[in-house]
Amino acid sequence: MDKNSAALYKKIQTEVESYQNLQKSCVKMVKQRALLESQLNENKCVLDELNLLGPDNKVYKLFGPVLVKQELEESRQNVGKRIEYISKELKSSTDTLESMEKDMQKHQETMAKYQQQWQVAAAMK
Amino acid sequence: MAATPSATGKTEMIDLTKLSPEQLIQIKQEFEQEMTNVQDSLSTLHGCKAKYAGSKEALETFQPNWENRQILVPLTSSMYVPGRVKDLNNFVIDIGTGYYIEKDLEGAKDYFKRRVDYVQEQIEKIEKIHLQKTRFFNSVIGVLEMKQAAAAKLLQSQQQSAAVPQSS
Repeated sequence: MDKNSAALYKKIQTEVESYQNLQKSCVKMVKQRALLESQLNENKCVLDELNLLGPDNKVYKLFGPVLVKQELEESRQNVGKRIEYISKELKSSTDTLESMEKDMQKHQETMAKYQQQWQVAAAMK
Repeated sequence: MAATPSATGKTEMIDLTKLSPEQLIQIKQEFEQEMTNVQDSLSTLHGCKAKYAGSKEALETFQPNWENRQILVPLTSSMYVPGRVKDLNNFVIDIGTGYYIEKDLEGAKDYFKRRVDYVQEQIEKIEKIHLQKTRFFNSVIGVLEMKQAAAAKLLQSQQQSAAVPQSS
């Protein structure tokens, strides 16, 4: 019996540990997603502004400390591409987050199960 | 930019009076966290608005007869060098992600006006969410206090009824 409960205790502990690890990476993921969202927003604002410009407006891009003149059409395409890329990243991070949440739920369930077994074992003593 | 918090429509469908005090406390804590987040976003947005409005104001003070006018150009926040206005009708504006665009006076004013309006719109959106959350938060606190009072009463009456047979 003692051997059994020790094994059970160990199982619970590993379960708790992996749950906590998942929780940590989940928090990290959420932060990353927030960052991506804000970047997407900023890029959208920039594209909106670029779309409002006429052909006689000059566009510059900051490279380090230097402003380099850019073609309007090219800038539009670049920002558009970036929006596409960020949207893709955002989608994949949402997917990972979802699967993480599912995993977390699974761990929770197994944890509850082990706890129940533990309680039954304790009551039998 | 502030991320808009996900809709909490689902949680509001739950009957608060049916939850246990522990669950209510947990909800209360979660809401406290969310409200601080919302508050933070709001203050960031207000800061943004002030910045855009400041740039717009600076542009408003520009007069068409300022050609060659001497001004002090800030090199740092506490050091200035004298300079002259050479070109009155070209302003380079940072529109984000490293892109800068050249606009004339009217265009630049228009840009900042649009920015201020946009940020104002976001502020109003977030304020609405904030109001909703505050209402829900208050109802959670109300129910929690009711439950705690009821529990205290129950405990008291139990103690009294337990004390009566002992004394008789």
